[in-house]
Amino acid sequence: MEPDVSIETSCMIRIAVLPVGTVPASVLRDYFSMFLRHHTIPLAAISSFYTEHQKSPFAQQPWDAGSIRFKFLLGGAPPSPWEDFQSNRKILAVIGICHCPSTPDLDSAVEQFAAACKSYSSALVQRCFAFCPCDSQLEDGGKKEDVLRLFPPADHQTLDIHLQTMMQEIAASLLMDFEKWVLKAESAGTILKTPLDSQASLSSEEVLKAKKRRLGRAQKTIGDYCLLAGSPVDASAHYTTALELARLTGDFFWFAGALEGSVCALLMDRVSHIDAVLEDEVKYQYNNVILHYRKSFIQDNAQRVSPLSFELEATLKLARFLCSSYLCRRNLSKEVVELLTSAADGGKSLIDVNDRLVLFVEIARLFGTIGYQRKAAFFSRQVAQLYLQQDNKFAATSAMQVLAMTTKAYRVQSKASMPDPPHTKKQTGPSHTDSGKMHHHLVVSLFESQWSTLQMVVLREILLSAVRAGDPLAAWSAAARLLRQYYPLITPPGQNGLASALNNSAERLPSGTRSADPALPFVRLHSFPLHPSQMDIIKRSPTKEDWWAGSAPSGPFIYTPFSKGEPNDTSKQELVWIVGEPVQVLVELANPCGFDLRVDSIYLTVHSGSFDAFPISVDLPPNSSKVITLSGIPTSVGPITIPGCTVHCFGVITEHHFKDVDNLLLGAAQGLVLSDPFRCCGSAKLRNISVPSISVVPPLPLLVSHVLGGDGAIMLYEGEIRDIWVSLSNAGTAPVEQAHISLSGKNQDSIISIPYETLKSVLPLKPGAEVILPLTLKAWQLGPMDFEIGGGRAAASGSTGRQFKDASVPTLLIHYAGPSTDSGDVTSATGSTLPPGRRLVLPLQVCVLPGMSLIKARLLSMEIPAHIGKAHPKPMHEDDPTTETVEESERKMEKRLVKIDPYRGSWGLRFLELELSNPTDVVFEIGVSVQLDGTDDNNLSTNQDGSTEYGYPKTRIDRDYSARVLVPLEHFKLPVLDDSFFMRDFCNEGSTSSSRSSSFSEKNTKAELNASIKSLISRIKVRWQSGRNSSGELNIKDAVHTALQTSVMDVLLPDPLTFGFRLTRDNSSPQQGSDSKDSVLANDMTPMEVLVRNNTKEMIKMSLGISCRDVAGENCIEGEKSTVLWAGVLNGITMEVPPLQESKHTFSLYFLVPGEYTLVAAAVIEDANDVLRARAKTDSPDEPIYCRGPPFHVRVLGTA
Amino acid sequence: MATTASFIIVSRNDIPIYEAEVGSATKREDAAQLHQFVLHAALDIVQDLAWTTSAMFLKNIDRFNDLVVSVYVTAGHTRLMLLHDSRNDDGIKSFFQEVHELYIKVNFLQLGCSVHVLVFHLSIVEKN
Repeated sequence: MEPDVSIETSCMIRIAVLPVGTVPASVLRDYFSMFLRHHTIPLAAISSFYTEHQKSPFAQQPWDAGSIRFKFLLGGAPPSPWEDFQSNRKILAVIGICHCPSTPDLDSAVEQFAAACKSYSSALVQRCFAFCPCDSQLEDGGKKEDVLRLFPPADHQTLDIHLQTMMQEIAASLLMDFEKWVLKAESAGTILKTPLDSQASLSSEEVLKAKKRRLGRAQKTIGDYCLLAGSPVDASAHYTTALELARLTGDFFWFAGALEGSVCALLMDRVSHIDAVLEDEVKYQYNNVILHYRKSFIQDNAQRVSPLSFELEATLKLARFLCSSYLCRRNLSKEVVELLTSAADGGKSLIDVNDRLVLFVEIARLFGTIGYQRKAAFFSRQVAQLYLQQDNKFAATSAMQVLAMTTKAYRVQSKASMPDPPHTKKQTGPSHTDSGKMHHHLVVSLFESQWSTLQMVVLREILLSAVRAGDPLAAWSAAARLLRQYYPLITPPGQNGLASALNNSAERLPSGTRSADPALPFVRLHSFPLHPSQMDIIKRSPTKEDWWAGSAPSGPFIYTPFSKGEPNDTSKQELVWIVGEPVQVLVELANPCGFDLRVDSIYLTVHSGSFDAFPISVDLPPNSSKVITLSGIPTSVGPITIPGCTVHCFGVITEHHFKDVDNLLLGAAQGLVLSDPFRCCGSAKLRNISVPSISVVPPLPLLVSHVLGGDGAIMLYEGEIRDIWVSLSNAGTAPVEQAHISLSGKNQDSIISIPYETLKSVLPLKPGAEVILPLTLKAWQLGPMDFEIGGGRAAASGSTGRQFKDASVPTLLIHYAGPSTDSGDVTSATGSTLPPGRRLVLPLQVCVLPGMSLIKARLLSMEIPAHIGKAHPKPMHEDDPTTETVEESERKMEKRLVKIDPYRGSWGLRFLELELSNPTDVVFEIGVSVQLDGTDDNNLSTNQDGSTEYGYPKTRIDRDYSARVLVPLEHFKLPVLDDSFFMRDFCNEGSTSSSRSSSFSEKNTKAELNASIKSLISRIKVRWQSGRNSSGELNIKDAVHTALQTSVMDVLLPDPLTFGFRLTRDNSSPQQGSDSKDSVLANDMTPMEVLVRNNTKEMIKMSLGISCRDVAGENCIEGEKSTVLWAGVLNGITMEVPPLQESKHTFSLYFLVPGEYTLVAAAVIEDANDVLRARAKTDSPDEPIYCRGPPFHVRVLGTA
Repeated sequence: MATTASFIIVSRNDIPIYEAEVGSATKREDAAQLHQFVLHAALDIVQDLAWTTSAMFLKNIDRFNDLVVSVYVTAGHTRLMLLHDSRNDDGIKSFFQEVHELYIKVNFLQLGCSVHVLVFHLSIVEKN
């Protein structure tokens, strides 16, 4: 059987094209393709070469419209035993191709050609074409013009025209030879035999029969030559005669041959207008042909030779004819299928394997033509199996190539053959739209094909044939596809076998070979880690000076582990990478197979070449997955895309696209793909991550920080104050030109001092430079939750980790940026945008341990009554000019906190009691200090801030003990009671109502209270010290606030009036000792005076009264049993005291009984103003305001 | 019913959803593969043929060597394909009808459930 047969084959002249001398394969291919263009030579074109020697037997030759057709056979063909039966099987001409540059000796070339022609005995014309001869060869070759044709070097078009002319000449000489042959055959007759004819000695009857048949056969052969000569009408006439003769002699085989010829003549004659009628005619005739070939089957010689191949060829010819018509009329497909199916059936009986091969090839081609891809693939696979049965390398190569064609129908094609030819891919680089389309295609194909059994068989056969053919790359690719796609269906030994097949193939490949089909492992994108907090990038806008403002996240978390695993964020945000700074991408690898997988290297693929990827090697145990970090350094500015990874595994480099695996997982999720490789490795389901758009920006400065003294956690007790030093160094390649410190996170106020100026002063910070920033830290108070965590002393160290997780540590944010105009070309490329700034997030790793704690604060009132003495009570108020004269000792005394003001009396002396406990295992020393207002105390010993501090002796509190500290509150009294106090407090509060009148609403009173408490509390400080270098301050504000809430008015504000008593009698009494000069004797007139001081800025009018009580509390001035006589007025004394002045009222008492007495002065203020009312907290304006002084004790001694 | 037979159900998007080697012939792996190849190739013919006729049962639409393909196309374009080597058309037709009925039932009870698939499989093996 012959390949590529059609009805028209009968009218084609076969020409063998042979290379002569050495012709490089590519050059030969070029020359041969030039020949192919001249397969049809119009008769009109050859008339110049044609000379009619005798009368032409082709009487009806269509010189105007007809043509002669050539069929070129490169390399020639062996002579066919059926040449007599079908003349078109003869090789009628031989053309040699000589490439002169590689074959310098033309003589030997001609000899070689002549030798080659000897095997083509049927050849009528022999020509040797010598291309591109040099000058000497031109000269030399001119002498051998009979055989050699020289084609001087010329451009392609000229050469083509030259070749056309030569072919026309060949056509003309062939035509003349045909005429000669036909004339000879008609006259002399020829013996025409086929292998079908009995070879055995012929009986006389058979000889007679053969003679009869000879005429018909000659007519048929003449018809064949007419066809070859391009004269279908002549051919038709001869065929008709031949048909008659063959029918008469029962020569069915030749009958069928003649019938075939006549159909061909018919088609040639009416080549321009084929219609349905002609089609039906052809169909009918050809069915007849097939029938007669079948009839000619002779049982005798069926073992040796059979006309079956002619029957099948005829079937294929008809099928091909219908196929070409099928393109116009689809309903012919059923008939084509019928024909091809019966041809396939006939293939079983073919003796020659090669015939079967050709048959199946043709069937596959024809099925492919009508679009039956699966049928075509089926027969292609049959072809491949036939090839594989032949045990040689070339057959295996053919099998491999044929199977490669079936991969599309079975949807197991190699990626290299899928989207576009690989060479164009290499040139242009895959663009993204292309890969998108390809992926769509892939997804669809994933959903459509599930014939896994077939797919595995095909891939296994490709692997087998590739191994046999010695094509390691194809073998590798097939094994890779098989392993990657069907690993769930392959047993572990099978998987091992494939792995060793991969390794064996790789051994034969040169190192660095790339394959389009990835093998293992499966690679998917895991995540793009955000910039480490040290390297955050912040966009800068040129219009905004403080670009850092607003860039800080609004939430309490700056950098949380949650944001890492949030792929939604990752997909939305644009990643910014910096030239020269390493970046990381997390990918997940899976090895679902049962062997240890070693990935020799894996790195990120970036096609633009602006990225240096760092390869790493990974070992994956069986059925395992692993998340690995791939890193690299961007090398140039611009956008970067990362489509996948390049993997060097099993000795071959492959590219793994993330999208492929995504599609696979998508298919697995819908149950359309066999298995999810990651899931079967126990990896968690990961949401789809789309690759974010990544842009690369020019180099930026990079600050690296560390805390001096170690980056470990700083352990502080609550309230402890400590200085720490943070070192910042610029590890980038650009200088830091702007920098700004801000605070974030919880417990921000624990950072007491921030060295803004230190940082400013070192700018610009050159690359490599370092700056040390001092910070003062004050440990914050632990909340109730923290106490639970870190409460136990033993667990204190263990709880540090947990405390960091709470993110309770304050964070230093340093925003910095490089030069705003870096280089001209960059700014012009990116417009007016500034290079971005960066943010350094420096969480201060502070671990706060519970330290001294305040259990409670209480306000205590104490009564230490004063004795009335002769001395004038000292006024309290420092603005009084009399203070100037106060003795030094008194001033010293005043410095001490606990003192009794004899003038003020001791009534209502108030202390703040702080109860402290020490739950730690160290000793604390407590010191209380009170700051007094510098404006009031400027003449006392002052501190550096102009305020006076009253120090206490330190209180030591041992571990597990508690102690109480008393803080007297007397010194907070204001000198003057007036509305300015309220005004001032309101101003401090930031209230805008500066024009407040002296009327107070309840709300304002409250606000005023809070404000005054605040100012009061802020002046009390409880400092502690523990060991040598731990010291801090106790946070007592809240506790004190609660303690003082109710009585702050009394603490802060002076009474409007203060009262004091004094003895005014003469001090010269001899009985009196200096120590008892203030004592009073019974039965003696004791002159006394009461001093009333007005503490307000208004004149106060009052009605004063003095009462005296004995120890039992009985009034001893009035009543029946009064024991005290008096002189002067004691009740209803009307007094007017000018503002900030004092007035005296004198009186005398006469004590009848010795003992203890108490004198109390009281006054009812008349016409009180609002300030007084507010102070007295009266409810209604009509209520009298009653002032009472502190009690004064008088000890009355007996006279005895 | 048949000495060699391979039965397959192909969904409307050309995915095989059920396959069984039935019949009394000894089962060989390469034979089973060939059966699948033949049935897969026959899909091309079914594809064209199904639209030219209103019949659901398309008998002997394709053959390779001694193996004949008969197809039953359901209304939902699911194809029940049987590869067999004997020409017992009536038997095959009734087999197809029964399987179709079963298929509809199982489909109704959701084919995803493995119990139903097992019952389905057993019934099909039984019918041979």
